[in-house]
Amino acid sequence: MRNLFSAKNLRNLILIIVIVGVLVLAISGYLTPIFSVSVSPLISAQSWISERYLAFSDFFGSPRDMATLREENMVLRNEVAQLQSEIIALQENLAQAEILYTLLDFARNNPDHQYVAATVIGREISPYLQYIVIDKGSNDGIRFGMPVVTQQGLVGRIDAVISDAARIQLITDAGSVVNVRLKNANVEGQVRGSITGEVSLDMVPIDSKVDIGEVILTSGLGGTYPPNIFVGQVLSLQSRQNALFQTGSVQAIVDFSTLGAVLVITNFDAVDISPLVP
Amino acid sequence: MLIYLVYGMSFVLAMMLQYGVFSRWMILSGSPDLVLLLIIALCLHQKHKRFWILILIMGGVVGLVSALPYFVPMLVYMAVYLVSLTLKQRVWQTPLLGMFLLTFSATILEHLLSIATLFVLRIPFVFSEALVNVVLPAVFLNMFLAIPVHAMVRELSMWLYPQGAQV
Repeated sequence: MRNLFSAKNLRNLILIIVIVGVLVLAISGYLTPIFSVSVSPLISAQSWISERYLAFSDFFGSPRDMATLREENMVLRNEVAQLQSEIIALQENLAQAEILYTLLDFARNNPDHQYVAATVIGREISPYLQYIVIDKGSNDGIRFGMPVVTQQGLVGRIDAVISDAARIQLITDAGSVVNVRLKNANVEGQVRGSITGEVSLDMVPIDSKVDIGEVILTSGLGGTYPPNIFVGQVLSLQSRQNALFQTGSVQAIVDFSTLGAVLVITNFDAVDISPLVP
Repeated sequence: MLIYLVYGMSFVLAMMLQYGVFSRWMILSGSPDLVLLLIIALCLHQKHKRFWILILIMGGVVGLVSALPYFVPMLVYMAVYLVSLTLKQRVWQTPLLGMFLLTFSATILEHLLSIATLFVLRIPFVFSEALVNVVLPAVFLNMFLAIPVHAMVRELSMWLYPQGAQV
């Protein structure tokens, strides 16, 4: 009994009580102001390190990329030529399209989004999870669940927020599911991430005809993302015997490995339907 | 007190370097874990009886910042600390060998726990894909970085603990 209340045991007990107390205070949010004050200079330092590293990486990586850039330039020139011929064809249908746009009330389906631009200052420590950290947080109006895009297309959604930083779950994450619509085939499906960062297409009806290169847009189903945001293109599609749905691989429009800045859509309220999911 | 401050600062620096730089260094889908390497090296060089408290706090901080469940880094770092106590007694004459042994086993443990977490969270993945694309490259990168991290922490501990000092 005397050993139980020895000075050593009491000291360890007090230490454990203090640690548990601090953890409880942190979890219940009472330490948030202290965290906010202490985290801000760290985030600034993190931004500085990240920016210097990216500049360093670009400087040494650019000469190696010249050959690739030339090839891409050739491909893009070909695409421009194709697109110009398509423009001529589209101009012929312009009058008809204007009527259709009025009927569909296209503007109503594409409300003007409000954006907050943010710099990517870090990537998740675990290679199994595809998350990034940005330098904007709740002080800039960022909230949980807000969609994140770049000028190219969909990036992901806000997963966690503190005062001056936020964590984004990328669409390449294994836990990410995006409800999508295949533009020309006009069928819906799901885009899923993976632990290796590759993106796949799933839940495409077995009887639908989908072409390779088909454009994938968000459908807005589920209320997690706004509709009509560009996600990527279909790379390949497989339909197994006796399977209910077609699956395939997707080329995401955003290059997640070189992501330096993103836009957070702040005027979209994501709907959390997880309590309704059985 | 100075020792804990220096260890704390080196941990914060390692976290920032990990998030800003080392998470972008990838072979296939595996990346090195500088924070884990630093903790392994610190555990092998520390001479404090209550060092486990600092390890627990470091695990808690990584758990809070990371998208992983908070207990995964805490468990891994505490396991590293406990194994390092035994390892220091048995392979004390070759600390670099201890660093390699601990780096290999801790990396495997960390990845197994991460995979188990994904499994519990019902996130679909292929085990062989995870092994080939993530675990093996991460082990290789960690083993590669273990040498410079060990050397730096050794220099740091020689400065912090002058010859013969036992706290």
